[in-house]
Amino acid sequence: MTSSHAFRTFAFAYGTAFAVLYVIALKLDLALFTVYPAQSLVLLGTHRSRDIVDPAMSFLAPAMYWYGWTTTAALGALIFALIATVFPERWTRRLWSGWLWVVPVAAMAACVYLTMPWFRL
Amino acid sequence: MATFLLIVHGLIAVALLGALSHQTLATWAPAGGRSGSFFSRFRTVPPASFANAVVVLYAISALLGAIVYLYFRVDIRPSLEQAGHWPALGFFDIKEHFISIGAALLPAYWVCWRRPGAEDPYRLRAALTTIMAFIVWWGFLTGHVVNNIMGFGS
Repeated sequence: MTSSHAFRTFAFAYGTAFAVLYVIALKLDLALFTVYPAQSLVLLGTHRSRDIVDPAMSFLAPAMYWYGWTTTAALGALIFALIATVFPERWTRRLWSGWLWVVPVAAMAACVYLTMPWFRL
Repeated sequence: MATFLLIVHGLIAVALLGALSHQTLATWAPAGGRSGSFFSRFRTVPPASFANAVVVLYAISALLGAIVYLYFRVDIRPSLEQAGHWPALGFFDIKEHFISIGAALLPAYWVCWRRPGAEDPYRLRAALTTIMAFIVWWGFLTGHVVNNIMGFGS
């Protein structure tokens, strides 16, 4: 029963924390690594094309950040969720479980907002 | 190889779409004793029984999508950029964000459906299922449109 509750706390904290951290990673461009699929290259951290070559070369060396953003958020959420399991059950039960769906919905709205520049091109 | 993976990705997405659509409708509007109409029969399913399948199908579909995305970035997206399909690329970016958020919700979703009614309120389960269904529908439609965009745009 205790391990079942611990996993429930972990799962709820992970889902909520990930949503928040993903938006932060997206907004601040915090990719743990950058993937260059054409070159089969993975570089640690966020690398914009102009850091390495002329921006016009991005067609030849397209960079991908989604994997990096996701990994950044996943690692952060993992730490947060593990910490959450340490708290006593009576503390975690007081939290409103609705945050589990409110926060991801808000995060999804934030992601849409941050993607808006695509629609103004 | 990319085409094969994309087809498998699409087939798994169809199965996932069906499972989540059944589950969402059965959760929000459970059918009564009679199941005469198509809509009633669609809802006459035990929603909890879909949870494991949804988790597995979502995980496989997301993994395949992440692999196919590499080919998309190199072979497809530059052409779409050159053709000026910016809104489609925007929708695709939103899809990738939604898929990540949905993947992170899978453990909580599974916990909520493992013993429905035991610990978590009905509304939480229904809300999570609806979010997952929305994400999967968004991903499916966006992926489908982007895959066929030359047909749509030209």
